[in-house]
Amino acid sequence: MTETGQQEVKLQKSEGNAAGKFGYAILYLILGIIAVLQIYPLIWLVFFSLKTNQEVFNASPFALPADPKWENYATVWTQGNINLYFFNSVWITLVSVALTILLASFVTFAITRMNWKLSKLVLGLFMIGLMIPVHSTLIPLFNFFLSINLIDHPLALILTYTAFNLPLTIMILLGFYSTLPREVEEAAVIDGSSIHRIFFQITLPMSMPVMSTTFIINMIYNWNEFVFINTFISSDSYKTLTVGIQNFIGQYSTDWGAIGATLVISILPILIAFVFLSNKIVEGIAAGAVKG
Amino acid sequence: MNKVMSNKWVIAMYVLPALLLILVLIYVPIILTGYYGLMKWDGIGEMDFIGLSNYTKLLTDDDFWQSSLNSLLLAIFSLLSLIGYLAISLVLAAKIKGADLLRKIYLIPMLLSSVAIAQLWLKIYHPSNGLLNSLLVFFGVDNPPAWLAEPNLVLGAIFVPIIWQYAGFYILIYYAALKNIPDSVIEAAKIDGASPLQIAYKIKLPLIMGVIKVTIVLSFVGSLKYFDLIYVMTGGGPNGASEVIASYMYKQAFNSYNFGYGSAVGFALLLFCLLATVVIQRLTRTDDEVEY
Amino acid sequence: MLLLLTMMTAIVLSGCGGGDDAGDGGGTAGGGDKVTVKMMHLWPAGSSKQHHGIVEDIIKQYEEENPDVKIETEILSNDQYKEKIKVLASSNQLPDVGLTWAAGFLRPYVEGGKFAALDDVLEGELGESFISGTTEAFSVDGKAYGLPLELNIAPIYYNKRIFEENNLEVPETFDDFKNVVKTLVDNGVTPITVGNKEPWTGSMWYMYLADRIGGKETLTNAINRSGSFEDPALVQAAAEIQNLVDLGAFVKGYNGLSNEEAKGPFMNEKAAMYMMGSWELPNFTTNEDVPQEFKDQIGFFKFPLVEGGKGDINSFVGGPGVGLFVSENSKVQQEAKDFVKFFVQKWGEVSVTGAGVIPATKVDTSQLDLPEMFIDVLDELNKASNITLYADVQMSASAAQEHLNLIQSLFGKEITAEEFATRHEEVLADEE
Repeated sequence: MTETGQQEVKLQKSEGNAAGKFGYAILYLILGIIAVLQIYPLIWLVFFSLKTNQEVFNASPFALPADPKWENYATVWTQGNINLYFFNSVWITLVSVALTILLASFVTFAITRMNWKLSKLVLGLFMIGLMIPVHSTLIPLFNFFLSINLIDHPLALILTYTAFNLPLTIMILLGFYSTLPREVEEAAVIDGSSIHRIFFQITLPMSMPVMSTTFIINMIYNWNEFVFINTFISSDSYKTLTVGIQNFIGQYSTDWGAIGATLVISILPILIAFVFLSNKIVEGIAAGAVKG
Repeated sequence: MNKVMSNKWVIAMYVLPALLLILVLIYVPIILTGYYGLMKWDGIGEMDFIGLSNYTKLLTDDDFWQSSLNSLLLAIFSLLSLIGYLAISLVLAAKIKGADLLRKIYLIPMLLSSVAIAQLWLKIYHPSNGLLNSLLVFFGVDNPPAWLAEPNLVLGAIFVPIIWQYAGFYILIYYAALKNIPDSVIEAAKIDGASPLQIAYKIKLPLIMGVIKVTIVLSFVGSLKYFDLIYVMTGGGPNGASEVIASYMYKQAFNSYNFGYGSAVGFALLLFCLLATVVIQRLTRTDDEVEY
Repeated sequence: MLLLLTMMTAIVLSGCGGGDDAGDGGGTAGGGDKVTVKMMHLWPAGSSKQHHGIVEDIIKQYEEENPDVKIETEILSNDQYKEKIKVLASSNQLPDVGLTWAAGFLRPYVEGGKFAALDDVLEGELGESFISGTTEAFSVDGKAYGLPLELNIAPIYYNKRIFEENNLEVPETFDDFKNVVKTLVDNGVTPITVGNKEPWTGSMWYMYLADRIGGKETLTNAINRSGSFEDPALVQAAAEIQNLVDLGAFVKGYNGLSNEEAKGPFMNEKAAMYMMGSWELPNFTTNEDVPQEFKDQIGFFKFPLVEGGKGDINSFVGGPGVGLFVSENSKVQQEAKDFVKFFVQKWGEVSVTGAGVIPATKVDTSQLDLPEMFIDVLDELNKASNITLYADVQMSASAAQEHLNLIQSLFGKEITAEEFATRHEEVLADEE
């Protein structure tokens, strides 16, 4: 009985090999095509950034730049306060993302791990936060920040980014927390650990992969945001990289090459951060698994 | 166990900061949006209370319903696209060669800001020298359509970049969720002789169901209130053919000086999202996951 | 956590320090007796180097002459500017000085009491220096609320080489014009490029036809409700648009192209004609990024007369673009008014030569060293019998939105000329 069973398995495997190889070839072909489609935009953007307006609108959009305009980068880099904008982008993004993930983790922990009557209601309250169109909030938020003297203050941005990304972050965390094993936490409770200890030393490390995921998502959103910045911030000293793009949009015409260059410059840091963080998604599992 | 996990002080400490933030920064604007919806207000001068007139006007406003229908279509397409993202993620999370690199490449478009994506796709759709029409001409199509100018094509054409834009987002989430599944579970299934498809369908998918449900809500609600690319690429045109609720709201509130009416549209959008969420939750409720 | 808290505190503290002098919405008198006047404009150094430079120079000069005043600028791009100015107005936080558009854009701000009347500024010499009709476009109930900075007319630019190659001459009548279109279509050349995704571009074509068929008042009267869009001349104008569409006059996919995208085929010598405001002139004259061979090929002509129509060849579509406003709630209104007065005068002196802007104040072309096409357009402007303000600017913002949608439908042949007329009537009747 056991013998025939083993034979069957083997048979399946050898049959699968010929078909399997073909299947893999097809699979990689499809994956490869998708990969090209996905990486192309980045390459396109780099070409775009080296073109003149004439080329952008007159030549085929997929042509290589005839005479690469590296000066687009020089223009972008020397004009205005790009260093300062860059610095602002980095720290405003980082603080907002850290705050968002911390607060969201607290809430998700409380909702999924702790027992209280209102948890569903509170979760509902957060979910509704997903549903408001951003532009509806501009005038009310402006008035609010004006009344507490935070207009033209970076804290207005940090608080707004945090509030608007909390619902999304909580939702994503929620999906993951429901799949995380609870045994370790339960054991810790029995051992008499405090809740804070459980949260910071068991749950947070275990949720490293999803935190990396939400970190990437939050980071991209905050990094590219411009509606709130434009509305709440007036001083140059608090503006961010997305404002740099505005610099090249004119009343009747727009310097697209320079915009392309700004976009390339602004995508590099998140590209690097992203590659680093996306490794964390896998590493985090390993770390969590060891502790688990 | 229950006692530790029911500590009211801890719950309050964990939940209140985030709750406070969204109550002030999201709920106050929501309430004010509903309130402005009761006003005849250009956003600048005096407000006039007109009761529910704006809301009753909505009921007979063809443009509003057309844009609602468009938003609904977008939401449905987004939902369907989740299947594709899930499939890609399953492949990437399986232990195939090069998955790590592919995953990073697949997520690149997500890093691009809407400005870049809009420019890219405008070039793809350009009626005479765009990539798409150049290809069509190459393959012998005589007179390929001007994708963004034809009222009956524009909606489909604009959906593609929107859905593509979010591919990275969902692949990232699914991938992290799948990586979260302990190897031991899958190894056990393999030993039992389950095929990769069976493992995916019978083991992996149920295990990440919590995450899938979350993405269903996120993609549906996110699509209903979608704005960015549509506003940049078609401006809702030609003649409203690609208008969605959020772009209609924006035009009313900011371009037409009907801030009161625009707010009513925004509030209606919120109600649609709420309704959709409740329906989705009903449809996806399973007995084993009461907490969600 | 602790780190985060410290960071937050640090931000709050540093931010407060910066926030105080960075601006309080309205100008504050801080630091000695210096008065700060806040100004918002939409000419960033990146895209509008020359405009930006002129503004900076004017400010510098003004600050030198008025050492107790400091002008602080905030610069946004067009769309962001419009969005922000609206949010600021609703919270009574407008800058002391800013830019506004005419008529339909300006009216809600005036009615909401946000803009200060500028009649006292216009008294005397300054008022007379404006070309007649320009300050009127910024007036509500006889009071001026904006000082226009630019004045444009929209000629049809054409490519001489393409015309020559196809043995064409500048059309004198609309029938000639249609023949030009036909010849070009037959020879496989795009006759006209128009970016009707931004329907104000298509609207200008309709406006010219309305002018040439019905005379200069018909459309304006229909908008101000002393006339009607169902006037036979206006219906005919709409029908002529669709005739042009049927002839294949417009570039492929015009309803999905932005103005900038549509300009491509013209700059590329793939389209023969392009109608646009005179703000495009630098692209055909002074712009160094545009090849000289191309610039040499470009000329312009006035929209041809329609046989049997009441039009006048010297009547144009156009009007003032942006103008300066002073906030009614400004704490430094007097200084702000003084500054805009200074600004408009200086702007008039240098903007043509410095940035290729035709100012709304009178320019003596004989004194200036300008490219020939510039001089020609300026002369046409001086000869103009009438300038009809862009229809979407004349209308209230919500009617304008509807008008623009209808223009797209008209060009897309989704509605007939008659429907185009009745729908306009419905929209405008709703407003009364």
